[in-house]
Amino acid sequence: MARVKTEKTRKIPITMKEMKKQSFLMIVSFCMVVYGIIFYYWPLTGWIMAFQNYKPKKGLLGSKFVGLDKFRFLFEDDVFIKVIRNTFAMGVINLVSTTIMAVLFAIILNEVRRTWIKKPIQTISYLPHFLSWIVVTGILHVSLSPTGIVNDVLMRMGFIKQAINFFAHPKYFWWIVAFANCWKETGFNAIIYFAAITGIDPSLYEAASIDGADRLQKIRYITLPGIKPTFLILLLMNVGNVLNAGFEVQYLLGNGLVQSVSQTIDIYVLKWGISQNDYSLGTAAGLFKSVVSILLIVLANGLAKRYSEERLF
Amino acid sequence: MNEKEYKVSKPISDKIFGVIVVIFLASFVIITLYPVINTVALSFNDGIDAVRGGIYLWPRKFSMKNYKTVFAMQNIWTGAKVTVARTVLATLTSLFANALLAFVVSRKRFLFKSQLSLFWVITMYVNGGMIPVFLLYKNLGLTGTFNVYWVPGMISAFNMLVMRTYMEGIPESLEESAQLDGAGYFTIFKDIISPLRKPVYATVALFIAVWQWNSWFDAMLYNRMKTQYTTLQYELMKLLSSVMQQSGSAENAKNAGGNTITPITIRAAVTVATMLPIVCLYPFLQRYFVTGLTIGGVKE
Amino acid sequence: MKLKKITALLLSSALMVSMLAGCGGAAEAPAPADTAPADTTEAADSGDDAAAADTAEASESTGDVKEFTMFITMPGSEINDDNEIAQMIADKWGVKVKETWLTGQTASEATGTLIAGGEYPDFIDSDEMNLLVDADALVPLDDYIDKYPEFRDEWFTPEEWDKFRQPDGHIYWINPFGNTMGETKQTTHNDEAFWIQVRVLEWAGYPKIETMDQYFDLLERYIAENPTMEDGTENMAYTILCEDWRYFCLENAGQFLAGYPNDGSVIVNKSNMTIEDYNTSEDTIQYFKKLNEEYNKGFVDPESFTQTYDEYIAKLSTGRVLGMVDQWWDFAYTVNDVFKQTGLDLKGCNYVPLGLTTKEGMENRWHTYDDTVNQASGIAITTDCEDPEAAFKFIVDCAMDQELHDLRWWGVKDVDYNVDDNGLYYRTDEQRQNWADTSYQAAHRCQYSYFPQWHGTSRDGKNANKPEEQPSEFMNDMAKPLKDCFDAYGITTYPQMIGSVQETNGPWFPMYSYSNNFTTETPGGVAWAKMGECKHEWLPKVVMAKDFDKGWGEYMDAYEACKPEDFLAEMQEILDTFK
Repeated sequence: MARVKTEKTRKIPITMKEMKKQSFLMIVSFCMVVYGIIFYYWPLTGWIMAFQNYKPKKGLLGSKFVGLDKFRFLFEDDVFIKVIRNTFAMGVINLVSTTIMAVLFAIILNEVRRTWIKKPIQTISYLPHFLSWIVVTGILHVSLSPTGIVNDVLMRMGFIKQAINFFAHPKYFWWIVAFANCWKETGFNAIIYFAAITGIDPSLYEAASIDGADRLQKIRYITLPGIKPTFLILLLMNVGNVLNAGFEVQYLLGNGLVQSVSQTIDIYVLKWGISQNDYSLGTAAGLFKSVVSILLIVLANGLAKRYSEERLF
Repeated sequence: MNEKEYKVSKPISDKIFGVIVVIFLASFVIITLYPVINTVALSFNDGIDAVRGGIYLWPRKFSMKNYKTVFAMQNIWTGAKVTVARTVLATLTSLFANALLAFVVSRKRFLFKSQLSLFWVITMYVNGGMIPVFLLYKNLGLTGTFNVYWVPGMISAFNMLVMRTYMEGIPESLEESAQLDGAGYFTIFKDIISPLRKPVYATVALFIAVWQWNSWFDAMLYNRMKTQYTTLQYELMKLLSSVMQQSGSAENAKNAGGNTITPITIRAAVTVATMLPIVCLYPFLQRYFVTGLTIGGVKE
Repeated sequence: MKLKKITALLLSSALMVSMLAGCGGAAEAPAPADTAPADTTEAADSGDDAAAADTAEASESTGDVKEFTMFITMPGSEINDDNEIAQMIADKWGVKVKETWLTGQTASEATGTLIAGGEYPDFIDSDEMNLLVDADALVPLDDYIDKYPEFRDEWFTPEEWDKFRQPDGHIYWINPFGNTMGETKQTTHNDEAFWIQVRVLEWAGYPKIETMDQYFDLLERYIAENPTMEDGTENMAYTILCEDWRYFCLENAGQFLAGYPNDGSVIVNKSNMTIEDYNTSEDTIQYFKKLNEEYNKGFVDPESFTQTYDEYIAKLSTGRVLGMVDQWWDFAYTVNDVFKQTGLDLKGCNYVPLGLTTKEGMENRWHTYDDTVNQASGIAITTDCEDPEAAFKFIVDCAMDQELHDLRWWGVKDVDYNVDDNGLYYRTDEQRQNWADTSYQAAHRCQYSYFPQWHGTSRDGKNANKPEEQPSEFMNDMAKPLKDCFDAYGITTYPQMIGSVQETNGPWFPMYSYSNNFTTETPGGVAWAKMGECKHEWLPKVVMAKDFDKGWGEYMDAYEACKPEDFLAEMQEILDTFK
């Protein structure tokens, strides 16, 4: 990977002169790498647990090795396969919907010229980020219940004849989760895009106005390209997170009737690993998630490098 | 005044667009504000009364009991002090460290920039689990100290990448001209790069501050027995979980006469108590997100 | 310009904070309270008992008060450091315990990190005791127990003590709960039942209800005649709570309907000492068939299987739900409070339990009279405790000293309760409210609630050991309709209402205390977990099925695939040890 890249970009020969010039960068890098190894890479020794029957008393060195037993347990269970599907599906739906909402909101709010409108809306928008999931899902549950406001409105407008019990049907579940995520995080996610839009050179808009561009055209030709680097970087990063589709939302919104679509890897691990005292199983699932994430990131990064300037590494 | 000028030359498509903007934002505000107002209303409501449900925008049976309970907690002020200290300290150190790292990896000439980026990107997706991390902190002597709040999480690949994106946006010519003047990389970082990136600093600072402000798991895990290092959120979590536990106890059953608290209302009060300070911080940072456009507006 | 100012500001504040932090760090270094005990213990060893007492907490002016720490893997309320009753206890009994509770973790996570870190509090009560024994973290208590023969003989029978013996022959922990002293004072049915509102019974002239058919027949008739409450709210015949672990409200009624006690996960057939599966029993099929029938007739709440616990409680609180299956502790405290506050108790909305069985005239065992000794957990002393002698003595004091017991559970005389001329304790409304107030609790009340405690009658022979069991406290706020109902049936307590047979449970009871500890390391544990999953999904489907037999058949296919026989076999093995 790295080699392809250096060929593409300008080649800088590794000479003593260059090294000396970059000595500040080198020293900083070295410190950062040491820090990273200590706090992020050293704990990965814990991954050994995935191949052991870990017992806290015996520790990492003393526990019995069981090879791939834990992975076998996971992948021989039909439920786990379903759980991967659920996690992946919800991860992708969440990623797409929350990204679109955040960008949309940032751009639209940017179109408001009056600061006294804009500032309060921005503040309000990020408040739900501070509500815990139990509060948000509680309200959502009440609103979507057969006697709740959503059914009420739908019935009054004549879309449906009989109240729908949204939580009793697996087909609605993923979308409810996506909605909950957008509801809670759109404002907070948009902050980063506000900053990006702020960074766009104002003279570009002036020039466009002079050329007679309308607002939509300005968005299309100036704002969107302006936030593209941020957008792509965030997208790339989040592609690696699709398997972290969450735990609390699904747990709080789910019930027996929809459990075939509501269980995520994290819930599965909690049920089978932690609550049953099986640390190793949880670690195995975590290791699996990490490997998939890194594969996805490498893939996405390769694509991004081929088709645009942005890349993660 | 610019507005007027602007309106004259407004194409029709802009007017339609304006209507859409208004509708979108109005519905967005209503739907976003509702859970917040609902939480505030609940926080001022009597606990037992709230159990019946049906409270929407305004408390039904007003009570200050929830807030009284929250603020009567023994360690709440210690927790608040620790939380403020960790938030300020971690925001500053972490902002500086991330900026420095972002600066290094955004230097186009830097020999190991892609390797260094990869090194950090990976950290976002790997996690050794609770126990190895616990052991590490214990061996480093971080458990049972204040330092555990800011030392381990100082660098986050996410924040670093966000900053890098901005720093890459700086024209290379700036850097080159500085180098021609004989400036080293440290000088470039200090003089040129860092002052230019205000909005991104505000953003990242906000992310770090919010994260720090809301953290409690570390206090629970590493400083469980150290009352002097408890954090606000940990105290609030303790209150919440004890109220949840108690609501099913015989004691409460005979209690209907007095003002009562229940998990529903205490949770609401705790949420508001957490939310307020960090919300107050936002307008100060917000300036940095709006400045550019105000300037733009003036120039128009 | 401005920028420089801001930078200066930031820098100076950074400096200040880091200085603060530096101070914190400096203060930290010379007082390594946690690492020092190594030296102090040595000193103590060389000295005599007096020196040992000094080590406990030299800084305390009281001198001989020993401070212990305790961690309990349950959520609970922390008390203030200067809690009044805790101080009184410290003054008189020389011990103060700093309790810490579980927050935001599971019991096994918390226990796992403790073990990994290798540092323990002095006392511990964990749901994962076996892990701690494995890690050699606990002190064997046998010798200490034998030092206090009175305590030993009064607290448990030899058979009960044996249940606590681990494979290595030692006892490491003592269950502090569920022991009754003298005559039982139990007034509530703190167990599961089919509940019904007293207004329904009143309307029907207080009939004798013995079977599910009669129960639902009554609910149907009542609804037909009284579709709404006085204020126009629609009545609802029956709802089912099905959220997460609370789905016992749907799941296990079959064992009770067949007349068996709450072994929880299985039925024990005493006649031939075999384990039977109630999930597939005829009584359970009848039960779900009836629910299915009522659901399709529209008498079961359509939101039953999707409602959350909060929504369920809110629904009960409106007073519109006529009946349901639940455990008393799961709903009654909150719901009765609301009824009282809104006056619904005067309208007859309070619930009373019915001991239903499949057929008329059967014995029922919904109520557990016996003490339920859960041998899986309890209070233990860890190897990090410097003075296990004193620690154990305090455990004994808690169980054996009535004055201490009263202080913990009733509070301070004349402050938290009064004594009438006959020596009976009573409380005023204000005292009751204070006692239940969170802030008052933190400042004043100190229950040490995971130390040994008694139900039943106090050593004075008059009062209840716990206020909530005191008859005067129980009668105190009974609404008229509830009282009328009790009078009509000629009873004075809830257990009498349900009328379960009184008999001694087998030494294995309850079997759920074993199945709760199953792990995925055995096939039985895997089967048990899968069965739970399967039932969560299928039981609602069965109740909602258009065609019950078909739905049940599909459920059974899914159920058999979980290999319940593995689970049952392991339970049988456990039962066999009692043969």
